[in-house]
Amino acid sequence: MKDLKHLYYFEQLLEDANNQLVRQGKEEGKLALGYTCFHMPEVLLNLDNCFSLRLRAPKTGSMDIATYYMSNYTCEFCRAILERSIEGGFNFLDALLAVDACAQMNRCVENVEIQNLIDKEKFFVSHVDVPYKVDDSAITHYVQQIKLKVMDKLSENYGVDISDKSIRKAVEEHNALCRIITEIGNYRKEDNPRITGYEFHILTLISYACPRYLVMEKLTETLEELKTRECDDKKQFRAKVVMVGSEMDDPEFTKIIEESGALVVADRYCFGSFPGREEIILNDTEDVLMQVCRQYLVDSLCPRYMSTEKIDERRANVDYLFREFNADGVIYEQIKFCDYWGYERVLSGYVVNKDYGHPILSIDRPYMAKASGQLRTRIQAFVESLEIKKINKAKEGKKK
Amino acid sequence: MSKYFGGCDVGSTYTKTVILDESGKIVSTNTIRSKMNSEESAKAGLNQAISELGLSSLKELAYIIGTGYGRNKVPQAVENISEISCHAMGVHVTDPNVKAIIDIGGQDVKGISIDVDGTVKAFAMNDKCAAGTGRFFENMANAFELSLPEFSDLSLTAKNVIPITAQCTVFAESEIITLVGEGKPREEIAAGIQLAVAKRCFVMAKKAGAVDSITLTGGCAKNEGLKKAIEKVLKLKVINLKTDPQIMGALGAAEYARQKGLAREA
Repeated sequence: MKDLKHLYYFEQLLEDANNQLVRQGKEEGKLALGYTCFHMPEVLLNLDNCFSLRLRAPKTGSMDIATYYMSNYTCEFCRAILERSIEGGFNFLDALLAVDACAQMNRCVENVEIQNLIDKEKFFVSHVDVPYKVDDSAITHYVQQIKLKVMDKLSENYGVDISDKSIRKAVEEHNALCRIITEIGNYRKEDNPRITGYEFHILTLISYACPRYLVMEKLTETLEELKTRECDDKKQFRAKVVMVGSEMDDPEFTKIIEESGALVVADRYCFGSFPGREEIILNDTEDVLMQVCRQYLVDSLCPRYMSTEKIDERRANVDYLFREFNADGVIYEQIKFCDYWGYERVLSGYVVNKDYGHPILSIDRPYMAKASGQLRTRIQAFVESLEIKKINKAKEGKKK
Repeated sequence: MSKYFGGCDVGSTYTKTVILDESGKIVSTNTIRSKMNSEESAKAGLNQAISELGLSSLKELAYIIGTGYGRNKVPQAVENISEISCHAMGVHVTDPNVKAIIDIGGQDVKGISIDVDGTVKAFAMNDKCAAGTGRFFENMANAFELSLPEFSDLSLTAKNVIPITAQCTVFAESEIITLVGEGKPREEIAAGIQLAVAKRCFVMAKKAGAVDSITLTGGCAKNEGLKKAIEKVLKLKVINLKTDPQIMGALGAAEYARQKGLAREA
């Protein structure tokens, strides 16, 4: 396939959290609001003159200093964010909006706050308490938290317009972005998809890690380009997989998977599009903030929720993606020492195979995959086993 | 004119080559120390193998498949297949009764269960860490100033086992030096090392769903002390293969090459 026109440009942007577009946004007088988790409603960080940045740590080298503060046995993503904060990598931020969704990210953000790592007059850190249940009282509590620790602080510190009108405008812009990403992502349902998982991962990351008003034009152009993009006659993959798991902002990991023969057709992980790139449909009768917050809580597929219905929903969602995107297998990935996914990967990996019959590869990984021979071997062996299954299935079909 | 099919397993420590004829019989095989450059290793192994058959060019082989960590660097290879699939196939053609493999290579340890047709049913593999791999044994033998066969023989003479707690190769070496310094019996320390690796193999075997009829492949399969320790922790007898267990990956690659090469002609 011909390279996507803007792919190289997008790849360059992802090499630094404080990339060219972030700097442009700041120069234009906008506020850069960092966040680290789906449970911080992204759309609310794009009100008025603000833009959201889901934090990544692409320039991370050794994490020794963060390890000193957080210990060895903690998630490398959290440590990488802290390490880069210590190195000054996020000094451009005007606020860091965090959620008490996992203890390890809490420790990271606490360190940013207590050590005063981003030393600016109006800079603030928020810790929003996110309930572990999703019912009416939990949603009410969540709304109060968001109002108190995000909306009011933005208004008090920076004079941000947090009115309903402002929220509705941000939702409209959010929905426009989601429609583009979803339309692009739907091409992955094709028999021979016109977009690779790596390319889609790049586009999704761009939508999280850059001021959206500065990337909309190029994302729209990319969608138009894809409408007429022609695939190679010969498929460049041997099997299709759904990737399910924890924090994943390293497109090189997706590249390793695809170089090993597995095309990633659905991205069910933190920083992926499921969930994250669904439109928010507002009605005119309920409180706008309530509607926005409710959608984030209801849509969350994070394994922090341990109620039976949420566990079942997550497994059913994997099955749905498997069928909807015509996958051959599922890769459960987990960043090392992620508490929630440590359980989810092992249990659901087993159950999804047993109950739904989907082939599963289960792997844990460091924050940055780089070149890992063992990882490539495991993925290739998985792909080979999927191929054999397909061949055997076809043989059985012929016999019947 | 006879047709030959090649499999080349470029491992981190050794490069193994197997040539099969149309009937699946091994007609040439060799094992050489891997060089820094995977392509050169594969070229050397394949050239040595074909020269024994009186062939002058790799192009005279009907089909070549590469495997091992340097699998994509094998010259003239039509394709590459993971060593997990190749070990399963290699063992299957050697002894179809074997249902599971513990493969201990230079830099990884794998548990593989085999389906009735020689394909992989399930597998488990270590991560980046070198604990319990061939590299680990090399370091341990070096710490004892012994060769690998001498180290294996030493462990077999132990009446007791001194447990080794460190999993990490670096820390284990340090622990062993401390134990030797304390005057602990060397054979018991060696047996402790074998047991520590056997326990790691137990985990891989169980993760891969291995239940019975297990064999060992890879260079460490020749380590009799390790074999005994694995039999002890798994509580079953390890099946000895009639062909060199170290070449199973290359043999599986050659068998796949034979099947695919013949299918292509048909």
